[in-house]
Amino acid sequence: MRIVSYVLKRLAYLVPVLLGVTLLVFIISHAIPGDPARMMAGQKASREAVENLRRSMGLDRPLYEQYLRYLAGLVQGDLGFSIRNQRPVLEDMRDFFPATLELTLASMLLCVTVGVPLGILSAVRRNRPIDHLSRIFSVFGVSMPVFWLGLMLLLLFYRHLGWLPGSGRLDIGIDPPAFVTGIYLLDSLLAGSLGTFRNALAHILLPAFCLSYVYLAIITRIVRSSMIAVMGLDFITTARANGIAEIVIISKHCLKNALIPTVTITGLSIGELLGGAILTETIFNWPGMGKYVVDSVNFLDFPAIMGFTLVVSFAYVLINLAVDVVYAFLDPQIRY
Amino acid sequence: MKTMTMRWAVGILFAVLAAAVPGLAADKETLVVGVSSDVHTLDPAVSSDNYDWRQIYPAYDRLVKYKVVNGEGSTEVEPMAAESWTVSPDSLVWTFKIRKGIKFDDGTPLDAKAVTFSFERVLKIGKGPADNIGAIKTVEAVDDTTVKITLKSAFGPFLQTLATDAASIVNPAVMKHEKNGDLAQAWLAQNMDGSGPFKMTEWSRGERFVLSAKDNYWGAKPALKRVIIRFMRESSDQRMALESGDIDIAEGILIDQIPALEKNPNIVVRRFPSQLVEYVYINCQNPKLQNKLVRQALNTAVDYPGIITHVLRGNGVQMRGPVPKGMWGHKADVFQFQRNVAKGKELLKQAGAEKLDLTLIYSERRPSWEQIAAILQSNFADIGVNLKLELMANPTLREKVDRGDFELCLGAWSPDYADPSMFMNFWFDSNNFGLPGNRSRYKNEQVDGLVRKALALSDVAQRVALYNQAQEIIMQDAPYILLYQTQTIVPMRAWVKGYVYNPMLESMYNFESISKQ
Amino acid sequence: MAGERIGAWGRGKRPLRINVFDEFRRQYAWQIRELGFMVRLLGRNPSAVAGFAIIAGMVAMALAAPVLAPFNPIQISLGDRLLPPGGAHWFGTDELGRDILTRVMYGARISLWIGVIVVVIAGGLGAVIGAVSGYLGRRFDDLIMRVMDVILSFPPLVLAMALAAALGPSLNNAILAVAFVMIPKFARMVRGEALAVKEKQFIAAARASGAGSLWIVWHHVLPNCLSSVIVLGTLILGETILIAASLSFIGLGAQPPTPEWGAMISVGRKFLMDQWWYATFPGVFILVTVIGFNIFGDALRDVLDPRIRR
Repeated sequence: MRIVSYVLKRLAYLVPVLLGVTLLVFIISHAIPGDPARMMAGQKASREAVENLRRSMGLDRPLYEQYLRYLAGLVQGDLGFSIRNQRPVLEDMRDFFPATLELTLASMLLCVTVGVPLGILSAVRRNRPIDHLSRIFSVFGVSMPVFWLGLMLLLLFYRHLGWLPGSGRLDIGIDPPAFVTGIYLLDSLLAGSLGTFRNALAHILLPAFCLSYVYLAIITRIVRSSMIAVMGLDFITTARANGIAEIVIISKHCLKNALIPTVTITGLSIGELLGGAILTETIFNWPGMGKYVVDSVNFLDFPAIMGFTLVVSFAYVLINLAVDVVYAFLDPQIRY
Repeated sequence: MKTMTMRWAVGILFAVLAAAVPGLAADKETLVVGVSSDVHTLDPAVSSDNYDWRQIYPAYDRLVKYKVVNGEGSTEVEPMAAESWTVSPDSLVWTFKIRKGIKFDDGTPLDAKAVTFSFERVLKIGKGPADNIGAIKTVEAVDDTTVKITLKSAFGPFLQTLATDAASIVNPAVMKHEKNGDLAQAWLAQNMDGSGPFKMTEWSRGERFVLSAKDNYWGAKPALKRVIIRFMRESSDQRMALESGDIDIAEGILIDQIPALEKNPNIVVRRFPSQLVEYVYINCQNPKLQNKLVRQALNTAVDYPGIITHVLRGNGVQMRGPVPKGMWGHKADVFQFQRNVAKGKELLKQAGAEKLDLTLIYSERRPSWEQIAAILQSNFADIGVNLKLELMANPTLREKVDRGDFELCLGAWSPDYADPSMFMNFWFDSNNFGLPGNRSRYKNEQVDGLVRKALALSDVAQRVALYNQAQEIIMQDAPYILLYQTQTIVPMRAWVKGYVYNPMLESMYNFESISKQ
Repeated sequence: MAGERIGAWGRGKRPLRINVFDEFRRQYAWQIRELGFMVRLLGRNPSAVAGFAIIAGMVAMALAAPVLAPFNPIQISLGDRLLPPGGAHWFGTDELGRDILTRVMYGARISLWIGVIVVVIAGGLGAVIGAVSGYLGRRFDDLIMRVMDVILSFPPLVLAMALAAALGPSLNNAILAVAFVMIPKFARMVRGEALAVKEKQFIAAARASGAGSLWIVWHHVLPNCLSSVIVLGTLILGETILIAASLSFIGLGAQPPTPEWGAMISVGRKFLMDQWWYATFPGVFILVTVIGFNIFGDALRDVLDPRIRR
């Protein structure tokens, strides 16, 4: 019951924050100096054509009215109309979202499958070479300019070694699998096309690693320090004294207790990954929301920028909430 | 642990290597074009962007099309959906006879009503393309196969405007997709309904766009079954894909990488004199730049050959007069500025503007601009002008140009139809201030008179004489820095045959007559 | 706690004696001792020393760039375009024939400047907002903290990008955008400290003697938070440099011909496949600089202020 009331309280508190988010996004996008009507009308358009357009887009109305219209639209799922693509931003988002989701999930998977074992390893072999290596790996991770890392990966694996493809989600000659989830790795398996799956896998490796590196570094550190904290506790010492095998102690007792902070940080980084996708997708020509928004920035397509910023921050807020709730379930010590 | 990791690494590596698939080289019926820019909208009444037209154009028919003479694109037109036409003696009323038997995919005939619908739709929507066919006052369907078009006033290049993307004939049945009186704009932005040789079969945004040939096209059957337009933003990506044969034509390869490509025997780098020009707008209304001596000085400072040699790697020529070579009305003996630092300083001294601070704005629309801006900065410094550079997003830049809120600005221009008015009237008529064309906000009543008179005439010799007279005045007033006319470079695999370049159809392809051998 | 005594910096009366240094030394004897102690502690911490060495190296390079750099960073030389590393150009040249080593050295000035100025702006504004908010409390505190929550509801890069796009692409606008994004981090921390300081006896004493709220915030609350602000500032300097470089990379930061590292990589990317040196070297310098700040910041936090934990 206490959890339910906690969740409700958190939800109620979300409303002003999300409203604030929309207001901030609205203010930012209206400070943009370009004239969207002019852009839409095209290079050689006449002045009347531009004026007509401005009126039909409601750009001649007072600001607060435009904001209210915008809010009312949002409630109905209307994120505005992309100037560049001439269609609702929501539809654009729907088209570009699966690629970003696929990349984000692949990165999460990497974070967990590489970060957790590496963290455990460096906790178990504390202050041994592997621990130092993992520390260096982590320091590089949090200090790495993601866009530069991407370029270096391309230079090495694509240009010089030729092991991995350079851009896009699939090779040019391969048709995308039939749409089910929009995630090629899943769709190709569902369609039973192993070749497409392997190709999609080859294409996702570099961008996924590039995107995940920062969080990989963080997760490794977190797992290491929480493992070390747990390993020093009494019950572990007792277990050890009782002659339980070290491997069992580590996998059964330590890991379980070290999992809570790991879950938290993993959850939190999903939101961050959505932001990091901006740079990674641009470098790897990955047709997701991040690349979409960078292209929109170059075009000053403000409904698109606004839509992206809003969607990502909403996702960010909601994921944070979910993490807090999960945390509340996992850790009985927490006070609501 | 170590061996496990190793095994994993090797496993992944194998999976990856095994994933290599044979390229499309073997497939003679599929053409792959690597391009740098995504497609945005497919509505011929909305798009003013050649990169959209690349997809739209082959999906629709128009009344007329550009002729191909000896494998080269010409600016003359010949019948397409129209069989023949007549024109009234005052050049105001044009009557077109439409070919029988052309059908849209749903069986709707392409008739006079379809033409009327399409043109009226473009004009009613009133976006960029409306200006391309803006000479039209009314369109009437006289009977099923006869269309009568009345012009606002006599307009020399009218027939050419009917070969532009704006004049594409759209199936009137699209109106069943209309929403809130948008004339089906929302639907046509992402669908196509034309009677052309190709239709869209896939559009994965940001990835690729696929056009497929129609079996029942009324004209000659295309040799290609499928055209894949693949979006590859980076020049180097396109280059590697072209070298490996994954793509057949690459559109966005930087000039710096062309020499390496030319050494490859499987690749042909084709060069065409284009009519795309790059130039600098000098805001004539700005107090610092009102004096024509200052404008002449700036023109004199520029190292034209240096830019062409180093930035274009020789793929261009310095402009001589505003009308490019290859367009009729080009004046081969009009005055041309040359770099002369001493003279530039002298001119500035005469103008009393020896300490001048100016700002050049530019965007990343063209890859060469960043370098050119830096060169101008250093060239101007030689005559004592301190140039500040401001890179901005293209829309912001255009907004500033439209309002005249700039001093100097880099720009590019290519004609939409083959008539010198695309330069002389758009650039210099003081009614066209701002984005429509007179971006320097140049006003000279004598020039206004000459170019307006020339536009209303249809006699070519008379028009040339008037335009020539105007060009002499303009070169003295120096409202622009005329940099160069580019060469369009299209690298392609040697097996691509039948490609025709047309300067009016920049970045567009004649997919219907290209084949692979 | 240490923080309380540092507050004396603000409370001190202006010395009237002639020997200012003696007076200063006497009045701040405790702080000076503590500083010396900290420096010795840091000196024993290898990562602090390494971090400090990197930072010092970068600062020295930035300061000495006009003397050390072999070429002019913005003078173009079309005959020397895209030369590979070697000979006169250790790091090669760019597409306008400029020496990349020179530009990288000058780039240090820009990146360090961005980092410091952002931290000063965000730290200053954030500290004031946090201190006032925490001290006044109630409605005002609620409102300010909700606003901070809103700002924190965006991934930092996304918000900075939207802001920089709206303000227009320029180095100064990028600095403002990044500073804006960083404000809540300082505000939240200082608010927490202000809440604690508020309950202290000397505040009650000041209030009793008729001091106004703003005066107390300025003279007591803020000075007490100074050390934490400095630690946090060092900690996020690296992140700041990264975000600013990312903005420049997507075209929203420094504009040409400014030799900013992120902007250089952005252009160098076009030449990556054939002229690898162009994008590579500026990136190495970003990485090394940020590593320097990160390990120094971590060490500083451990030594100076064990209260701040992420």
